[in-house]
Formats: sequence, structure tokens, C-alpha cells
Amino acid sequence: MTQPSFRDTFAQDMPPMQQGPGPRSAKQLGDVVLRVRGLKKNFGDAVVLDGIDFEMRAGEVVGVIGPGGVGKSVFVKICCGLLEPDDGAIELLGQDLLAIDQKSRQRLRERVGLVFQNYALFDFMTVGENVAFPMVQRGTAKPDEIQVKVQERLAEVDLPNVRHLMPNELSGGMKKRVGLARANINDPELIFFDDPTAGLDPVTSSKIFNLIRRTQAQRNSTCLVISHDIDRMRPACDRYVLLLDGRVHFRGTEADAMRSQDPIVQEFFRKGDGSKVGAA
Amino acid sequence: MNPIAVIGAGFLNASETLGGIVMVLVRILRAMMPPRFDRDETWLNLYKVGVKSYPIVIMTAFFTGAIMVIQSGVYVKQTGATGLLGWGAGYAVLAEIGPVLIGLMFSGRVGANNTAELGTMKVTEQIDALRTLAIDPTHYLVVPRFVSMMLMLVLLTVLGDLFALIGGAITSEFVLDVDYRVFFQGVFNSNLLDEFFTGLIKAITFGASISVISCHYGLTVSGGATGVGRAVNASVVSNAIGIFVFDSIITWCANSALFK
Repeated sequence: MTQPSFRDTFAQDMPPMQQGPGPRSAKQLGDVVLRVRGLKKNFGDAVVLDGIDFEMRAGEVVGVIGPGGVGKSVFVKICCGLLEPDDGAIELLGQDLLAIDQKSRQRLRERVGLVFQNYALFDFMTVGENVAFPMVQRGTAKPDEIQVKVQERLAEVDLPNVRHLMPNELSGGMKKRVGLARANINDPELIFFDDPTAGLDPVTSSKIFNLIRRTQAQRNSTCLVISHDIDRMRPACDRYVLLLDGRVHFRGTEADAMRSQDPIVQEFFRKGDGSKVGAA
Repeated sequence: MNPIAVIGAGFLNASETLGGIVMVLVRILRAMMPPRFDRDETWLNLYKVGVKSYPIVIMTAFFTGAIMVIQSGVYVKQTGATGLLGWGAGYAVLAEIGPVLIGLMFSGRVGANNTAELGTMKVTEQIDALRTLAIDPTHYLVVPRFVSMMLMLVLLTVLGDLFALIGGAITSEFVLDVDYRVFFQGVFNSNLLDEFFTGLIKAITFGASISVISCHYGLTVSGGATGVGRAVNASVVSNAIGIFVFDSIITWCANSALFK
């Protein structure tokens, strides 16, 4: 498939974009930290994403919701550069993600965090080593500075005394919080949360969403949160994007959703999880 | 099913695997220019790959040397050519049996473990986590394994050669009543230095091929625990094939060079 050039796609509605290396802070970008146009992804014959358009501004917390299997995780992985789309364009922190080389992409990733659905903690390291790992690998901080920062980040997620434990000694909720501490260690400008409450009980889910909001407010970072747990993600999110059949079905605030006459939007926001939509 | 389609599919599958293995090798070589190693990960792998493997290598090599002597003992006794016992065992061990058997043991223990480890990291998204943390998995995970396996297989082969000869000497002394000094005299008088170095070249090559093949299968796992099992199986089989293919090539090259 011929992929339209990034410039063609954004020619009308985008400010001039920085190419290649040379990080700029999110604030300098005219507030847009993530812009996606016409994103398509198929797996074999299955169409997962069918032309997604999406935009996110600095300091926002956006919830991406939708029934299971609609492609929310695929969307996030493409935005992080872990998967290649079949078509479309992605502007991440002012750079054309699909056009830059591997080294530039690696530098860009230093400014982005991802909390995985299944934790993805390194099982051969202690909790403290897991959280410290991105800083150690970057090699710009002294060991004692790293230790102080690790302790700070673990305290922020209410886990001050687990640094010597191994990941398999933690509960699911604790692993999620360690994942959050690790994603935050290098103070990323943008953090993706891939279903941060999957498999957790309602009380722990609420704690995780509160934690996301709290850490976001402390650093004024930008967060994209994937979940289908609308009730509990409400305190965390500024606005929502509903994915359905590979496309954006709805975008707006909770108030917009409540005013919407669309039965699918009503199903999601008034009943909470939209499970019936997925079943339909 | 159409037999031509089956052959074609098999050929495409083999080409894809071979291409993937070559790509892993290219990525490793690219990551090593300029040479940069993650020190902790390299030390850890040197320990896991080398130190933890030496008991099994010593045991395998010792009994291999013993078997070589027992097998040739009948003829040696019949002909009285006891001086040839050391030459025969030394030649076979240093040039062929030592590196190949130790390579096979190494691929079963270290290669399979490596595929399982990387495969589990892949299915639990730990490899993706590395990439999102701006860490190149090739540089952090694969290069230390490549270096460790090459280096340690050479050292283990030297150790294995030594213990195979010791096993042969003890067996000749106590089973065949041939003095161990006669055995070692046979080894040292035979000028087996070329065979020894050929064996080392084989060990380096086997180490490289085991690391690249096992990393390829580990990094391309899909499908959870079943996928990891399948990858380990394929890795062990491919490593064994790789060892025999490279053994044939190096033996042919060495013999061409030695006897021209």
C-alpha cells in the first residue's frame, strides 16, 4: 500500500514540524503533543484500525475507551512506535514518528512513558532495580541520585518499602504502581497507560486512576489512558475518545457524552462499561 | 494438498527463518560497532553461560575420552600398538568429538535456556518495555549473550579437551592396562596442534551460531507459553543442524589447508 507523505497529510492543518533529532518541550509545540491522521492497521484480513484521527494537547488526560478487541492497545503501541501502521501519519512531540530514523526514535522514546497492561516488569530485577533501570541506562545521573529518585517515585505510588522485593512477590495492583513509577522515573512529557486497571478489583482500580491524576498534576505531564472502566476513570480524565469498528466514534468531555443522543455513547457512559456494545 | 505447494511452503518457511537469523547477526554486528557492552549483563551472562556449564562439560568430556579409549582398546590390544592409543583419542577429541559434543551439550543447556528466556520476555512484553524505555534490546540483551557464548564455548572446549584426555588416560591405565604416560606420550608426540586450533575455530563458530539462532527464535516467539515451547524446540533442532553444517565446512576447509 502506498503511504501518503506526512507533509501531504498535514499540509493544511499543521504548523511546521521539526524533523529528526532535537527535542523540544511539549509547551513549545503549540500545545499539540500527539497528532494522528488516517491511522490504519490490519492483522491479516482483520481490520483493526480503519482511519483513526486523533489529537492531544499538553497537560491533558485523555481516556481512550471502547469494547474489548477494538484495537485500543494496538493504537497505543503504534503511537509509541512498537508497531508499524499500514497507513496514516503520527506526529509525536513534534516529530514525524514514521519518518525519523531508529536513533531519533530512540531519543523520542526517552520523552515518552508507557505503562503496560500486563506490567512488563523485568522479572530478573528487584523492584528498585526495575524503577532505576531507565535512569541507569541513560547514564546521566550518579548512583546516589538514582537511589534518591527511585525512593521518591516509589513513595509517590505509595510503595516506599518494596524496593528489595522481586516482581513476583507483588500483587497485581502493586505491579501496576511499580510500572507507573518506572514510567515516571525520567519525567516523560507524555505517558501512555495501556489498560492500567485490567484484572484489578474496583477499589484498587480507583486508587490507580487517582494516582494517575495525582502524578499527572504534580508534573503537568500529558496522559493517554486506555480503559473500559469508565466509572472509575472519570476522576482522572479530561476528555474521552470512543473507538468503535476501527474508527473514532465519539470524542468529547463527559458532559458532551451525557448530552449525546447516540445510543452507543449512552450505553458506554451511562451504564459504565459498554460491554453490550462489544457483544453487539 | 498439492505436494509442490507443500515443498514451496517449506522452502519459504526455511528462507524466512534463515533470513531472520542473518538479520539478527547483522543487528549484532551493527550494535558492536563501535564495541560497547552492557558490563553487568555481560558479566551475568559469562557466569550463567560459562561457570554454570562447566560441570556438565567436564562430565561429558571425561566419559567421551573414556569411550574413545574403550572403543579403540580392542584393536590396540590385538595389535599391541599402544602408542597409537593417545594419538587416536587425541586426534578425535581435539579435532572433532570435543568441540562437536561440547557444542551440542552447550546448545541443549545454554541455547535452549536462552531461547526460553528471551521468548518469555517477548510474550510478557518485557522486550517492548525495553524499547519504550529507549533501550535497544539487541544492544542490551543480544550482544552480551553473543559475546559470552562465543568466549565461553572456546574456554569450555579447552576445558573439555583436557578432561577428555584425562578420562582417556585413566581408562587406558585402569581398563586396558596401558600406562597413562604412554597414552600422553602418544598425544604429545603426534603434533596435534593443528587439530587443537581447528577445534577452537569450530568452538568460536558454534558459539556464534548457537547464540544467533537461539536469540532469533527467542525474539520471534508469539503465542504465549505454547509459542515459547515451540521456539525452544525449533531452536535446539536448528542449533544441532547448524553445528553439523559448520563442522562439515570447517573440517573441509581445514583439511584442504592442511593437506594441500
